[in-house]
Amino acid sequence: MAPGEKIKAKIKKNLPVTGPQAPTIKELMRWYCLNTNTHGCRRIVVSRGRLRRLLWILFTLTAVALIFWQCALLVISFYTVSVSIKIHFQKLDFPAVTICNINPYKYSAVRDLLADLEQETRGALKTLYGFSEIKSRKRRDAESWSSVWEGTRPKFLNLVPLLAFKEGEMGKARDFLTGRKRKVSGSIIRKESDVMNVHESKEVVGFQLCSNDTSNCAVYTFSSGVNAIQEWYKLHYMNIMAQVSLEKKINMSYSAEELLVTCFFDGVSCDARNFTLFHHPMYGNCYTFNNRQNETILSTSMGGSEYGLQVILHINEEEYNPFLVSSTGAKVIIHRQDEYPFVEDVGTEIETAMATSIGMHLTESFKLSEPYSQCTEDGSDVPVENIYKAAYSLKICLHSCFQTKMVEKCGCAQYSQPLPPAANYCNYQQHPNWMYCYYQLHQAFVREELGCQSVCREACSFKEWTLTTSLAQWPSEVSEKWLLSVLTWDQGLQIKKKLNKTDLAKLLIFYKDLNQRSIMENPANSIEMLLSNFGGQLGLWMSCSIVCIIEIVEVFFIDSLSIIARQQWQKAKQWWAQRQAPPCPEAPPSPQGQDNPVLDIDDDLPTFTSALHLPPAPGTQVPGTPPPKYNTLRLERAFSNQLTDTQVPAEF
Amino acid sequence: MHVKKYLLKGLHRLQKGPGYTYKELLVWYCDNTNTHGPKRIICEGPKKKAMWFLLTLLFAALVCWQWGIFIRTYLSWEVSVSLSVGFKTMDFPAVTICNASPFQYSKVRHLLKDLDELMDAVLERILAPEPSHANATEALNFTIWNHTPLVLIDEQNPHKPVVLDLFGDNHNSSASSSPAPGRTCDAQGCKVAMRLCSLNGTVCTFRNFTSATQAVMEWYVLQATNIFSQVPRQELVAMSYPGEQLILACLFGAEPCSHRNFTSIFHPDYGNCHIFNWGMTEKALPSSNPGAEFGLKLILDIGQEDYVPFLTSTAGARLLLHEQRSYPFIKEEGIYAMSGTETSIGVLVDRLERKGEPYSRCTKNGSDVPIPNLYSDHNTTYSIQACIHSCFQDHMIRNCSCGHYLYPLPRGEKYCNNQDFPDWAYCYSDLRINVAQRETCINLCKESCNDTQYKMTISMAEWPSEASEDWILHVLSQERDQSTNITLSRKGIVKLNIYFQEFNYRTIEESAANNIVWLLSNLGGQFGFWMGGSVLCLIEFGEIIIDFVWITVIKLVAFSKSLQRRRAQAHYASPPPTVAELVEAHTNFGFQPDVISHSPTTGTYPDEQPVPIPGTPPPNYDSLRLQPLDVVESDNEGDAI
Repeated sequence: MAPGEKIKAKIKKNLPVTGPQAPTIKELMRWYCLNTNTHGCRRIVVSRGRLRRLLWILFTLTAVALIFWQCALLVISFYTVSVSIKIHFQKLDFPAVTICNINPYKYSAVRDLLADLEQETRGALKTLYGFSEIKSRKRRDAESWSSVWEGTRPKFLNLVPLLAFKEGEMGKARDFLTGRKRKVSGSIIRKESDVMNVHESKEVVGFQLCSNDTSNCAVYTFSSGVNAIQEWYKLHYMNIMAQVSLEKKINMSYSAEELLVTCFFDGVSCDARNFTLFHHPMYGNCYTFNNRQNETILSTSMGGSEYGLQVILHINEEEYNPFLVSSTGAKVIIHRQDEYPFVEDVGTEIETAMATSIGMHLTESFKLSEPYSQCTEDGSDVPVENIYKAAYSLKICLHSCFQTKMVEKCGCAQYSQPLPPAANYCNYQQHPNWMYCYYQLHQAFVREELGCQSVCREACSFKEWTLTTSLAQWPSEVSEKWLLSVLTWDQGLQIKKKLNKTDLAKLLIFYKDLNQRSIMENPANSIEMLLSNFGGQLGLWMSCSIVCIIEIVEVFFIDSLSIIARQQWQKAKQWWAQRQAPPCPEAPPSPQGQDNPVLDIDDDLPTFTSALHLPPAPGTQVPGTPPPKYNTLRLERAFSNQLTDTQVPAEF
Repeated sequence: MHVKKYLLKGLHRLQKGPGYTYKELLVWYCDNTNTHGPKRIICEGPKKKAMWFLLTLLFAALVCWQWGIFIRTYLSWEVSVSLSVGFKTMDFPAVTICNASPFQYSKVRHLLKDLDELMDAVLERILAPEPSHANATEALNFTIWNHTPLVLIDEQNPHKPVVLDLFGDNHNSSASSSPAPGRTCDAQGCKVAMRLCSLNGTVCTFRNFTSATQAVMEWYVLQATNIFSQVPRQELVAMSYPGEQLILACLFGAEPCSHRNFTSIFHPDYGNCHIFNWGMTEKALPSSNPGAEFGLKLILDIGQEDYVPFLTSTAGARLLLHEQRSYPFIKEEGIYAMSGTETSIGVLVDRLERKGEPYSRCTKNGSDVPIPNLYSDHNTTYSIQACIHSCFQDHMIRNCSCGHYLYPLPRGEKYCNNQDFPDWAYCYSDLRINVAQRETCINLCKESCNDTQYKMTISMAEWPSEASEDWILHVLSQERDQSTNITLSRKGIVKLNIYFQEFNYRTIEESAANNIVWLLSNLGGQFGFWMGGSVLCLIEFGEIIIDFVWITVIKLVAFSKSLQRRRAQAHYASPPPTVAELVEAHTNFGFQPDVISHSPTTGTYPDEQPVPIPGTPPPNYDSLRLQPLDVVESDNEGDAI
């Protein structure tokens, strides 16, 4: 017999042979407590005295409870993130820079289209405020507008009447002038309800929009006529421009050569060819620098204004539309190459006769997507079709969502956003009621009734350029003379007159330093961390491990269930036997051992049955019941063999 | 004594053979170890035994794997950041103020006289290229012109561009000069370019510009650089704006200050720059309250009418907030303040503190950067800008053998100028657009570990207001010129307010994400989770390994001994049977009985063998049977442990 076997036999001898073979649950528990790897349980069993045992039970239970509590906390806090901020000094990609003139189209070019509208606007201004001559700082060839207007029937005012309300008499409104609304400062009057929230009870101006049958009308009022007239004008302007083809609009707007007088990037000259055209419905031709046109993104390897983009813009104030835009200058948007420039919403405005220097700091942010947060990597999992040819962003999603809804509800698309497939821009020849529909829809959108806000999710990563903008006088008084004449020469044939300094704006965009700040979210926990924290908790409170858990499963579920099942089976057998053969009490035990149902669970099972009869020591005479004896005998032989084996060498 | 006893015991053991077998050892280990799995292996039935064996192996593998992950994570030296925002009393930032124009034109006019005249002529030529003006060029000094001339490139025929020298009729320029000078050219047809030559004008390149404005400005700046680089520093300082002229009024908190509170340094681009609160000689001033009332208020006189007309086209004051004791890189990071306005700047100190190596690639003080810091003359701290500029100057000196005027000079070098270094402009413009050079510098320079940025919220308002303009200008004129008339105009004065915001700091501090405590607790957690083990269990395991090795050694010794003996026995024992066989073969004719007789002979040997060789293999079996004593003994020993 191998020595290993001997030791094993010794262990077997020392170990209580109960255990899984325990006859009752209590025995099993006792066996478990004595042999388990967890601490605490053993104490319960070995402690003397009721109080002490009670205390140990209490401690053990508390420890178990603590473990559960702490582990639950660990699981709950599993999906948290930690943030890391890193700074890299490196060569940085220069962002795309989109430059737009605030005025979309050259007034001289669009004037024919807008002649009627302008006429009516002037007429409305005259009726409402009693003046007709608009004194522009730049005199343009002033035609006698008022006289022309008298004859024709005003179609714009007819379509969307401008109304002036007098204090107190809300039901009646003077129908004449102008305006147009949208996210306006004033309040909105429902004509039906006659509720008005304008606190200043002077005259208010608004306009009325009606749906098809004219029974359903809404009046939008503004606290100031300036807003009302601009909005009204814009509404009609969009109507008119929606019917003009894109090529024609591009031709009506500024060309790159006209807009850009000089261009300098990273110490090298650039020109209009480095800019790509981007047509924005409300801003006309915009030009994007570094828009990955040659599949390469320009980068800067030096900070400072000298190494950034320097442009001088020509802003011709004479060509400004007096009603559409009331400020002069250009708009600059700094964005990612694949990002859509939302000229209307973001952007820095730059002033004429000034040098605007914009220092940038780059910050990149990365969020973790599901399950850490609700953000989306590329928008493919957002159920809104991206109608822009640009990378996903929350704003694109919201605009796309609105436009899609607009096409759905009103049958046409809003002019200032791209067209979804198979849709047309709204105009009142084809969609006479679109304005009413649009305003209703826009209200619903703002009140989050369209569900766009809940469907759209933020993007997971974004680049942000923090801008520090400062202004300086440019050109300086002493350099003005020569600079303007050289710039005029530069513009050459584009203009026929000498440039004035109010026609020019200088723009410098540069990286202040080449530090790229990345804000990254990282999972605070990994599965390894969770397990090791579990291990720490289990070990701290009870010196438990996964082995203990398997033990518990084994003992409490498999073994105790098998014991219960066995007991039940025996009871049933007994009961059955008693019913079947009450006169013969000896009979039942014999089948009990042979077809014990637990037999096929464990190959050691014979010892199960033997264990039932084990308490009497193997040496002692088992009185009575020959059939069980036969059974145990067979099993015990294997066992006693070992015993004798070990005992023999021990006696040497 | 003990050692001797121990060694003796070891020797004895070596002679006697191992007390344990491998299996015994393993079983003993499993029974007595504190790790949870092994015990189950030995005290269960065969199926469960197999299951537990597999489980234990699996868990051990898991533990090893997870440990590997943790150790790798630890060695990646990750950092975690903590962010704090709030208000506290902090040192007011150093404020550097310069005028956008480096020099007063009235004082440098004599230096720039020739250049300005030339510039006027150039502009005239470009704008109105009729030959009627040609006679006006007689008086010009062409020495500077000839060195680096501006040319017009006529690109109306894109395959054969014609180069027109602006003053082509006065002197002959390079080979491609057009025979028809003074041809009419406009911006669409012609480009203005700068001709840069080296090696005595034999190798030339044209630096093209898309606009004449840039071309003439670049050209002028290049020429002016050449002139100023030959002037000693003291004279340049005297020609620039002195502090008392630039700073009209100064108020810090409630305390008045003056130009004497400013330290002056000379910046090649902006002339004299004045630094408030630099902290070089005295302690930095703290500011303990937010708001404009407790900040720095300045009124500056930029004297726009005295600007050098061609050198700078932007008018205003240049301003930079920076850390104490750091060099102001005003050209890169500065902002403008406009004349005739009040510029209010709210400051938030954004500070990043990084741990050095191995957590992040940064340098504490620049001592481990392989580029000498040229800005250390001012006793300033290391910064990445300083490093990059020093690196550029270093390259400049190596390639062009002279230093550029805009950057400090290393010891023993000279600034570039046309007289001494005729090729420098060619060389410089080559180097400047060389991207590879810049990338080399970026790779060589390291970021500084502590990075402070001043986030500014800038707002502007018109100043002085129309109502107050009169008296403010009167007072300022009186103070400056002791004149009762207004000598200043709103075009020349700038008001600045610099103050701390409501929250004046945002500090991002790095700390090690995974320290050794973290590592140990996670290792322990994993080991405990899967196997309920601890370091002691590892020691137990190590002990068993040693025992294994010991047993192996003993066995090997025994084996080699027995091998020796067998060989000795083979020498002596194997021939006799053959002899016997031979004898028997001689006596008996039948060869077959030989085989039969062979087994009896072998059977007889054991009887003889015990006498000569006591340790042959069979005795080994015997010893095994006798050893139970040892086993029990060692068992007890094991138990005692």
